[in-house]
Amino acid sequence: MAIPLVYLVRRALDSESQTLATVVMRRKTLEIFVTTLTLTTLVVALATIIGVAMAWTLHNVALPFPNLSRALVILPIAIPSYVFTFCWISLFPELQGFWAAVFILVLSTTPFVILAALSALRRVDWSQHEVAQTLGLNTFATFFQVTLPQIRNSVTAGSLLVALYVLSDFGAVSLLGVDTFTRAISNLYRGSFDRSTAAVLALILVAISGIIISIESRTRSHSKNFRSSSRIINNPQLIRNFKSRAIASVVTLVYVLLGLAFPLTLLIIRFFSNAAVIDYSNLLRAALSTIIASLLGAFVALLLALPVGILVQQGSSLARFADKGVLVVHALPGIVMGLALVAFGSEFGWLYQTLGLLAFAYALLFMAKSVGAVRTSLSRVPQNLVDISATLGQTRSQTFRRIVLPLAAPGILSGTLLVFLAAMKELPATLMLHPTGFETLATEMWTYTSIFRFSEAAPYALALVLVAAIPTFLINRPDLVNRSDKYVSGEGDLS
Amino acid sequence: MTSLEIRDLGVKFESRQILSKLNLTIEAGAFAAILGPSGCGKTTLLRTIAGLITPSEGTIRFGKQLVSVSSLVLPPHKRNIGYVPQEGGLFPHLNVAENVGFALGKKISRDERQSIIESMLTLVGLSGFEKRLPQELSGGQQTRIALARALAMKPAMVLLDEPFAALDQALRAGISEEVVALLKSTNTTTVMVTHDREDALVSADVIALMRSGSVVQSGTPAEVYLKPISADVAESTGDVVTIPAVQSNEGRYFSILHHSEGLPQDGLKGELLVRPEEIRISANSTASRVTATISRINYYGHDALLELEFAGMAKLIRARVAGPMNFEVGQTVFVEHQGPIRWVSGNATRE
Amino acid sequence: MSPTAFARLRKRAALFLSLLTIASLATACSQDSAKRETITVYSGRSEEFIAPFLEKFTAETGIELDVRYGDSAALAAQLLEEGSNSPADLFLSQDAGSLGAVSSAQLFAQLPSQILSRIEPKYQSASSDWVGVTGRVRVFAYAPDRVSALPQTIDDLAAPLWKGRLGIAPTNGSFQAFVTALIQSRGEAATEQWLTAIKDNEPVLFEKNSQIVEAIDNGQIDIGLVNHYYLWEVAEELGREINAKIDFFQAGDIGNLTNVSGAAILSTSKKQSAAQKLIEFLLRDDIQKKFVSDTHEYSLVNPALWPDGLPALQDVKSPAVDLASLADLRRTQALLVKIGLI
Repeated sequence: MAIPLVYLVRRALDSESQTLATVVMRRKTLEIFVTTLTLTTLVVALATIIGVAMAWTLHNVALPFPNLSRALVILPIAIPSYVFTFCWISLFPELQGFWAAVFILVLSTTPFVILAALSALRRVDWSQHEVAQTLGLNTFATFFQVTLPQIRNSVTAGSLLVALYVLSDFGAVSLLGVDTFTRAISNLYRGSFDRSTAAVLALILVAISGIIISIESRTRSHSKNFRSSSRIINNPQLIRNFKSRAIASVVTLVYVLLGLAFPLTLLIIRFFSNAAVIDYSNLLRAALSTIIASLLGAFVALLLALPVGILVQQGSSLARFADKGVLVVHALPGIVMGLALVAFGSEFGWLYQTLGLLAFAYALLFMAKSVGAVRTSLSRVPQNLVDISATLGQTRSQTFRRIVLPLAAPGILSGTLLVFLAAMKELPATLMLHPTGFETLATEMWTYTSIFRFSEAAPYALALVLVAAIPTFLINRPDLVNRSDKYVSGEGDLS
Repeated sequence: MTSLEIRDLGVKFESRQILSKLNLTIEAGAFAAILGPSGCGKTTLLRTIAGLITPSEGTIRFGKQLVSVSSLVLPPHKRNIGYVPQEGGLFPHLNVAENVGFALGKKISRDERQSIIESMLTLVGLSGFEKRLPQELSGGQQTRIALARALAMKPAMVLLDEPFAALDQALRAGISEEVVALLKSTNTTTVMVTHDREDALVSADVIALMRSGSVVQSGTPAEVYLKPISADVAESTGDVVTIPAVQSNEGRYFSILHHSEGLPQDGLKGELLVRPEEIRISANSTASRVTATISRINYYGHDALLELEFAGMAKLIRARVAGPMNFEVGQTVFVEHQGPIRWVSGNATRE
Repeated sequence: MSPTAFARLRKRAALFLSLLTIASLATACSQDSAKRETITVYSGRSEEFIAPFLEKFTAETGIELDVRYGDSAALAAQLLEEGSNSPADLFLSQDAGSLGAVSSAQLFAQLPSQILSRIEPKYQSASSDWVGVTGRVRVFAYAPDRVSALPQTIDDLAAPLWKGRLGIAPTNGSFQAFVTALIQSRGEAATEQWLTAIKDNEPVLFEKNSQIVEAIDNGQIDIGLVNHYYLWEVAEELGREINAKIDFFQAGDIGNLTNVSGAAILSTSKKQSAAQKLIEFLLRDDIQKKFVSDTHEYSLVNPALWPDGLPALQDVKSPAVDLASLADLRRTQALLVKIGLI
């Protein structure tokens, strides 16, 4: 985690103070700053509102095909933002600029909030809701006064991921022509090979994300346990009246159409228009490479995240620092992380452009997701079970292995799956760090989109979405992975 | 099985003193109930015995073994204690058999393990439940499995924390009876924490009454019921009526319950502690010439509580009578006290 | 007794990991199968267009190529970051600018004279460490049914006639190279003037040249500044005739800037001679001919080779510009930023 930051500081120090001043003080930087902040704020606000509303609807209204709806609503995160954007602008070329970016980014980031809110909702004691209603609160008032305070921490954590996603996103903003820091940084690298100035901008970005992260941890409510009774009712009485169901179904349908069906259909059409010339063996190889590299990345992220998460849980301040650090790094554009690791990795010839370094890069880029998951999952293991295990003659390490880890496993697993998912979609760092000849779906797709062969890119894009759908689906259906999950740890929970 | 001896135990959370100067001795094989209102430190005491909380002062001995002094605290996993927390605390990711076999080490064979699990499940009356998951069990079943899990490791002592609190009234009596019988049959030293006086009176060989962090009285159920050291303590083992009384200079006690003619003017003012069932009532004059008017009847079926109004006293006195009865509100009855005289002036009782 | 959930999880993880190991071993083996000489190529030219040439090279010489594809500028940045540790032997770039950037960091080896002599000096590095391979020309693309009066110079595009109808890709390297050339030929003030006039004409901004051509085809805009070969690229992508044509500005106009794709050898390469063979191969007459027919680029070796339907390179009358100087886009970007186009 220090690697990219050390790199940036070193590069930034290279720059002549003159250039530095002109870069930082110029009007354009201010504009970029304002654009980045307003875009992030708007997207976070909208994604949070929509995401919480969708999660609430999915949790409380009797929708047709509830499990399917739940899976479909989450699935847009399986689509890389550049694919997503490409699909939209290839049908609506006039879709350009700030508002288009807000629209597209909201669609593609809302699932992070839905995921977090849903898993938090599943832990809320429904009897409180019922009590509130008997006390004369209507459904909305109940939501704001009783439910929302309880899911707030999880939701803010989801919103934080959205914020970091928007800050580091390149695909959507570059295709839609919105000047954010990430795009400006990329342009500097590409246009003038001015690494120092780019590093300065990247450091500003790091500062912004640092501020956002600290705001998030400040707004976090510290009262942990809202349970008033140890026996809690998680399954709500579903709302079944026709009007609510109709509205909820339409809203869900619209979201799924915009966020998933539409881009997917376009990909499928492009896929079949070109089906004859697809090199299936290459497609399969790329898919396998993607899975291997991303799995390794997720695995390394897990290995790095476990000790950090455990230490944070035990109150180590160094670990807490690392915990915040990985979040800051999370907001760095892939190109910055890529170049930092190029600078670092090329010092070690045996490591450079190996699968190992690529996996390490993925782990660094996306570790925030797994550290958070480890931390919350561990914190959610009931202390009394740990105590009982001790009285049953188990040492601390035995208890950790037999009780804490299995109970936290589903949550940790979903965090790891999120890393897996993000790694699959990653492009700029992959381009720089993949072993030569080891092409992933993302790099293959880039090969074609970079020369605007979108039909030829479509099979790779489609395969990427399909492969990415697997972890997305698993994140959303933890019961398929572990039966004890709903009793202890939250699935897909990012708080 | 082992005896338990606690001397001058003190526990602090931050600056709050939870337990102080707590003393308690429990014989090996005895079934002890710790009785007290919520917040008096019962659970803290239990967790301290289990080794989950480090005391700030005092000693704990299991038999002759010192498990806790200021410098040395034996960690919980070395204490060989079966701890059954509220609602069982079964491990949700393990099935019943895995829960029960949890503490059995790897040293024993598969078959041995299997047979211990089976015998434990038979003991708690839940054989055939091996494959169930905790969440598929009722509250009472969870408690019994938790007990089986604790007993499987042949503990020197079992600690029960409000084991029956989560059960509904109908199940409660049956299950608590079963569990208690079970523990007594295995002759395991047991410490049960409860706020339910009936649970305590029915099950325990020894009852320790706790008030704000220390044991104020301990003894057999009969001792603590019949000889409470204060009104407050008396109330925690059963209903109690306090009756204004005067101790004359000659040392005789006068109260409205005993003397229809009223209380003497001089002497020491105080109260008598009387259990409602010690107040005998009859429609006809017996030995007693004290009368009262029934102002209210709370009928429970097996018995009834009558509220009696005495002439010249605003306070109503409760008396318990057996179920089949034909008293009426407004009826004037003869009242007699048949029981020990418990005199209270200030806080101390004296017979 | 049923295995615990965790044990099941662990079993699955173990299976996953072993599969992973097998798969990565398999990948590793397939990579290491050949013991023949292998050179590592960083290619800013896209796989789609360059791979057939590289395969032909391997077939002819037996020299294996490990090719990393990427964006030319990003690869250049990567080479700069790698410095003397670079595993690359050869760099193929889409444009002269990326070559110039790496060249000025002195990471390229001197090329032998038999290579340099094949190419006109204006299409190679002044420090003799890179050569152009193919030529690409800046043109304007337009919709023939909506545009009757073609612009003669880039200045015409500032006319009110084109208000809101022009498409440019200001973040794209090819456009920035053109602006850099403009600064060289007219000076910074005049360039700023031109850019301001263009900006006031409310151009539609794109990320890529190809998007401009497609936008012309679908009617979003009527004219745009692109490289000449995008006309074919977009038509091939869409698989149909497109409603767009390209044309040149009048002879000598800076709008007709010729840029090159090129090649250079890393000075740290231990396979200089094999790498030189590849450059020699790319400059061979038959291969140049293949470039012209397959990728619709201009040959830099044989002036008689040019794409069908276009004028010869010498008739385009590109302005005289030092290609190596296109590397430093700092002034250009500063200008574009100042005006607010990027």
